[in-house]
Amino acid sequence: MSIQTAFEEATETYQVPRLIRLAPNLYGACFTLMKMIPARFILRRAEAQGLLPPHTVIVETTSGTFGLALAMQGVHMNRRVVLVSDPVIDERLYRRLTDLGAVVDRVPAAAGAVPGGYQAARLRRLAEVRTEHESTFCPEQYSNPDNPRSYATVAELFLECLGQIDCVVGPVGSGGSMCGTVGNLRTVLPECRAIGVDTHGSVLFGHADGHRELRGLGMSLMPANLDHRVFDQVHWCSASAAYAATRQLHRRHALFMGPSGGAAYLAARWSAAANPNALTVVMLPDEGYRYQDTVYDDNWLRGAGHLDQPLASEPVRVSDPTRPSGSWTCFDWGRRSYAEVMAGVAGVAGAAGAAGAREAR
Amino acid sequence: MVAVQVLSPAADRCYHRAGQAGSEIGVGYAPAHHGELLQGIFADAAGQPRRALVTLPQPGRGTRATFYPSYSHSGVLGPPEQTLVRRAAMLALRYFSTFPGAAKGGRVEISSNVPTGIGMGSSTSDVTATIRAVADFHGVTLPADEVARLAVLAECASDSIMIDDRVVLFGHRDGTVLETLGHRLPPMFVISCDTEPGARVDTLRLRPADYDDAELAGFGVLRAALRRAVALGDAALLGRVATASARINERYLPKPHLDRLLRACLRHGGCGVQVAHSGTVAGLLFDALAPDAEQRLRRCAAELEFDASRIGIAITGLIGVSASLAGHPAADPHEVEVLVR
Repeated sequence: MSIQTAFEEATETYQVPRLIRLAPNLYGACFTLMKMIPARFILRRAEAQGLLPPHTVIVETTSGTFGLALAMQGVHMNRRVVLVSDPVIDERLYRRLTDLGAVVDRVPAAAGAVPGGYQAARLRRLAEVRTEHESTFCPEQYSNPDNPRSYATVAELFLECLGQIDCVVGPVGSGGSMCGTVGNLRTVLPECRAIGVDTHGSVLFGHADGHRELRGLGMSLMPANLDHRVFDQVHWCSASAAYAATRQLHRRHALFMGPSGGAAYLAARWSAAANPNALTVVMLPDEGYRYQDTVYDDNWLRGAGHLDQPLASEPVRVSDPTRPSGSWTCFDWGRRSYAEVMAGVAGVAGAAGAAGAREAR
Repeated sequence: MVAVQVLSPAADRCYHRAGQAGSEIGVGYAPAHHGELLQGIFADAAGQPRRALVTLPQPGRGTRATFYPSYSHSGVLGPPEQTLVRRAAMLALRYFSTFPGAAKGGRVEISSNVPTGIGMGSSTSDVTATIRAVADFHGVTLPADEVARLAVLAECASDSIMIDDRVVLFGHRDGTVLETLGHRLPPMFVISCDTEPGARVDTLRLRPADYDDAELAGFGVLRAALRRAVALGDAALLGRVATASARINERYLPKPHLDRLLRACLRHGGCGVQVAHSGTVAGLLFDALAPDAEQRLRRCAAELEFDASRIGIAITGLIGVSASLAGHPAADPHEVEVLVR
C-alpha cells in the first residue's frame, strides 16, 4: 500500500508531465517546465558525485527555460547561478531569473550579426565567465549525456500509463527530450516511431542557419545530444502555423501551452489522424503564460502578420531536407545519421545534375 | 566453515500449528522456476540501487525435503554434494533453537525433479524445501519473507519461489521484496527450451553483471512496463519486457539461437522470449487468452522440435502459467513424481 505524500521541494513538482487524451489515439504530455527534468537531474547527480561543492558557481549559456530551471534548482541547492544569454531575452523571464538570485550576463547585440550568431557569442562569453570564478560547474545541456538520460522517468510514465505506444512526436532543440524519451521507450518498444519537429532556419535537420521567428525549438549550432538516428520523420513548422496550432490546442482542449508544443501538436494531430491504429503521444514542453502578450494576443499576431493565415491540413512532403519551403513540410528521415541523409541529398542532386547535363547534350 | 548469523525467532510472525510440534519428522515442498521475466538493478524504496529479478514460476517441477531430527548431535547430515541444503538446515535450526522441543541437528533427504545447472532454480528449491521442512518439524509455517531471508543467508543469492501468492520484484542478494507487482501473472503458455543441452552454469561462480549506464536507465523503463503488464494482465507487453531483459543478458550469459527462438515465437503469434539469467533455459511466451493460442503454441513447438537436434537445442516441455494446458492438467505440485537425488 502507498499513501499520497507531500513534495520535498518546488522543483520536484515539475518532474511528472500530465498525460491528457486529445483524440482517440492521441495523448498530450503536458509539462509545466520540461527543462526542469534535465536541469534537476544533472545538478543533483553532480552534487551526489561531489562535482558541486558549496562555493561552486553554476554557469550555463541559455536564454530560455533551461536557465529558469537551473535558477530554481539553484535556490534549493543554495548555489549561485550565472546565465549567459542573448540581449533579446524576454524581460519577464529576466526579472524572474534575477529574483531567483541568478546573474544574467547578456552578450552584446552586435554579436548576432556574425556567423554562429548569438549562440557562438554566448559560448565564448561562457568560457570567459568560467575563468572569472574559482570553481564552476556547467551542466552543458547540449552535450551532457545526462540530459537525454534524465528522460528515462518520462519513458517510464508513458509505459506505465499507456503501454504500447506506437509514435512519439515532439519539438527538437538540444535533442535531449526526444532522444532520451524515445531511446528509453525503445528498450521495450523497438518499433516506436519518433517524429521530430523543427523550424525554418534551424541547422538541426539540414536547413542553413537563419533567422528563426519561432522560439523554443530549433538551433543555430548542432548539439552533440541530438542523435539523428532516433528519428523516423522530421517536420518543419513556421511561426504562423505553430501559433495557430497553439491557439487551437487551447480552444479545442483547454490546454494553455507554449508555441513549441503547438508546433508539435500540429504534426502529431496529422500523424495520429493518418494512422488511427497508432497510439501517439505528443510532447508539450511548457505553458502559455510567457506568451500571453504574443501568441495569445490577436493584436500582436495581426501586427506580426500571423493572424488569419490559412493553416494547412497536412504537411508538404519534401525530398530535400536542406531547402526551406512552405509553412509546414515533412521529410522521411528513416532513422539515418545526419551524414547518411546529407549524402543521399547530395547523391540525388548530383544524379539530377548529371541527368540534366545528358539532356542538354 | 559456514558463518551463521544469529537470528531472533520472531515467533509472533510464525504460524504455529498447535499440537503438531514434536512430530517425528518435518516435510517441506518448494517449486522450481523457469528463469526470469526481468533481471537487473532497480531502485528500492529509499532510492538505492539493488540487484533484483522477477521469476517465472514453473508449475509441475519442485523439491520435497524431509527433515529427520536429532536431539543429541548438533550437525546436519544431508546429500554430500549439497552444502547449501545443510547450511539452510543449520540456519533454520538456529532460528528455532529457542522453541520448545527444538532439535539440535538432524538429517535432510531431498527428492526433486528440478534439473540442476540450467537455471530452473534447483538450488533455491532445495534450500526452501529444507527450511520449510525444518519449520514443519517445529510445527510452524514461516511467512514467505522469513523463508526468503533464510534462503539468502544460506545461498548468498536466491530467487523468489518461496513467495508463491503474488508477483514480486525480488532483491535476490538480500532477500527483500522491492515491489509487489500484482497477484498473479497474465495467463500464458510457455515452450520450455534448453539452449545448450548438457551444459551447466555454476550459479555460485557466475560474476554479477556489470551493467552500463544505458542498461541501468532501461531497467526502470522495463519495471514500469512490467508493472502495467501484470496489473492489466497484458501478456503482449510482458513478452516485450522479457525479450528486452533477455537481450540485455546477451552481453553477460548469451543464449545460442535467441534470435531464432524469438523469430519462431513471433511468427506463430507469441509475445516474446524469456531466459534464465544464470542458466541455459529459454522460454517462448504465448498469451493463453489469445484466439487459437494452444494450436499456435503446438505448431511453434512442432516446428522447433523439427530443427532442435540440428541446431543443438532441446525442447524440454510446455508449461501453463496461470493457465492450464490440455494434456497437461494443472499439476498439484505435491503429487508430482519426483526423482530422488
